Amino acid sequence: MELFASQLLNGLALGSLCGLFGIGFGLVFATLGILNAAQGCYASWAAIIGLAAAEKMGAPFPLIMLAGMGGAAAVAVAVDQLGFQPLRTRGADMLGALITSIAFWMILDSLAGFATGQQSLSFPSTSYPGQMLLTEPVPLPAMQLITIAVLVAVAVGMHLLMTRSSVGSAIRAVGWNPVAAALGGVNSRSIILLTAALSGAISGLAGTLGGVLTSNVSFTLGQGLLLKGFAAVVVGGYSDVRGTAIAGVILGILEVFVGQYISTALRDAFTYSLLLVFLLVKPQGLFGKGSLVRA
Amino acid sequence: MTLRLTKPLLRLTAALVPLLGATAASALDAGTYKIGFIADRTGVVAFAGVSYARGAELAVEQINATGAMGKDTKLEIVEREGGSDAAKSIQGYNQLVADRNVIATSCCIFSGIAGALKPIAIANKVPLVFYGATMPGLPTLPYAYNVTGLPGPQEVALSKHLVEVLKPKTVAYFVLSDNDAFQARFKASQAVFEAAGGKTVGVVTALGADTDFTAQATQVIALKPDLIMVYVTQIPASSFIAAVRQRGWTGRMATNEAVSPIAVFKKIGPALAGVPFSVNFSADLTESEAGKAFVKSYKQKFGSDPDVYAGQGFTAIQLIAQGLKSLPGKPTREQLAEAMAKFDTIQNDIYGGVTLINGQVESKKNLFVNWSPDGKIVPWKP
Repeated sequence: MELFASQLLNGLALGSLCGLFGIGFGLVFATLGILNAAQGCYASWAAIIGLAAAEKMGAPFPLIMLAGMGGAAAVAVAVDQLGFQPLRTRGADMLGALITSIAFWMILDSLAGFATGQQSLSFPSTSYPGQMLLTEPVPLPAMQLITIAVLVAVAVGMHLLMTRSSVGSAIRAVGWNPVAAALGGVNSRSIILLTAALSGAISGLAGTLGGVLTSNVSFTLGQGLLLKGFAAVVVGGYSDVRGTAIAGVILGILEVFVGQYISTALRDAFTYSLLLVFLLVKPQGLFGKGSLVRA
Repeated sequence: MTLRLTKPLLRLTAALVPLLGATAASALDAGTYKIGFIADRTGVVAFAGVSYARGAELAVEQINATGAMGKDTKLEIVEREGGSDAAKSIQGYNQLVADRNVIATSCCIFSGIAGALKPIAIANKVPLVFYGATMPGLPTLPYAYNVTGLPGPQEVALSKHLVEVLKPKTVAYFVLSDNDAFQARFKASQAVFEAAGGKTVGVVTALGADTDFTAQATQVIALKPDLIMVYVTQIPASSFIAAVRQRGWTGRMATNEAVSPIAVFKKIGPALAGVPFSVNFSADLTESEAGKAFVKSYKQKFGSDPDVYAGQGFTAIQLIAQGLKSLPGKPTREQLAEAMAKFDTIQNDIYGGVTLINGQVESKKNLFVNWSPDGKIVPWKP
């Protein structure tokens, strides 16, 4: 029973990272119509920038998180403006954006490798709450609880932002039709920049937390999150934050329990079979309403 | 009188001429000899790839600085980045072998890539020295050589030592399920423990691309083994050990040389202290003169101690240089390969006793070591 509870907590924490990353990934997909393969790099870069803040400035944990988020937001805005904006201007389709994002993925991953000296680094143990809140009967690492709490906070906050605020309405309007939104008085350019920054910051939050949780700050961090985050978006419904968060948690728990009780070798097969099932049976996902192809 | 002196001089000269001729013939022609090198300075194993490339770079620099190849004779590395990617490595390798000035080549950490490059080397009759791959059967004389010890002997030696010292009744293993080399290492170790009565209580696996090992740490701790054996690459090993220790496990663990680079200790810190592993080279413990000189010059050039991977990169170039030095004139690739095939030892041996058997390096020495809490590799004492 203790093992079950421990693994459930591990699954919740892993799933929270996937869900958190997926929220950022889904936001840019649903709003800007970009399947952004470079999104994982934002997570890696957030962890690298957070680590630099911890090591060079001795920043406390909340500032490390903010530094990571800010850095990832800046990278996301730069990628959007350098890579995607010219495509938007020319009215290019999703395939063009996907290919551009793959190019940025390669570039940002290579740069991340050089930034870490091609090593896997980790946050200094004094820079985050690394203590165990309980050791018996179930180990309760503080960082795992923080990660779960962050997912809940971000999911609720983003859901409210998207459904109850004028900014959220503007983001959705631009996502549906930027020209119509502009005619309705929405500054599409600003909304696109805001969406890119928000998406980068949320994925960056997942990256920084992931870097702390897994003791791995390297370019491989974002690569690991990318596919799982994508799966969370598809299973949860790309247009709904709640679905992505819940799907991320389900995938995390599934991954851990399949590894524990069935086989690690089959773990990814189970996870991505679920993705396939949703794509076939319920392509709009748990909470999704729209179709995958935008009008 | 003049005649009397002249005769013996002429006789002496006549006697010496063939000898001089022989000396001249045994020297390598002056010039620059290019060694093609597929580096893995980027990609998933770049943490080791950088060290391999630095070791090779240092070897060439030392050989050239000391004039070891002869007057006005230099070695030069022509590097192509493989990025731990098969397609990129093959493309780079094809470029290298197409350059007829490249007399020998060296490559690869991943056995799969090494296996893909070997037929190209054989078809082009160019010597290829593997510096990191560990798949059995890679060396094929006279063209393919491996300066990295095969998996198995080190694990067996460490496992036997642990059986003698710790006498574990139950052993759990943490292994990469998608890595043949680590599967082979784990199985070799498991056979030793089981033969000595060490029951396997669980084999917990991860995939090479995984980054989160909290679930595996929980799973292994729940097995409550006397000993945890860790047979995975650097990132999983370091993250797993950190996760296990963070969850309060104070029991015994042992691992492999993947944790030997200083970067791993810097990452994990004292959590890594006391976890034994086996290596055939350690900058802190090397006893051979060649090893000490290598450590000193590496530290001078790169500002840090060489790790086990740097040693292998260094040795790969030494083997090629040794082959070249043994040849007269301007040797062809085939002649170099034939010369290398005759060696059973490597000169300038930093390990203090390696043999070359059918192109495969075997180390006589196994050091059982661990990191001390202050970040030094020290002999392991239970």
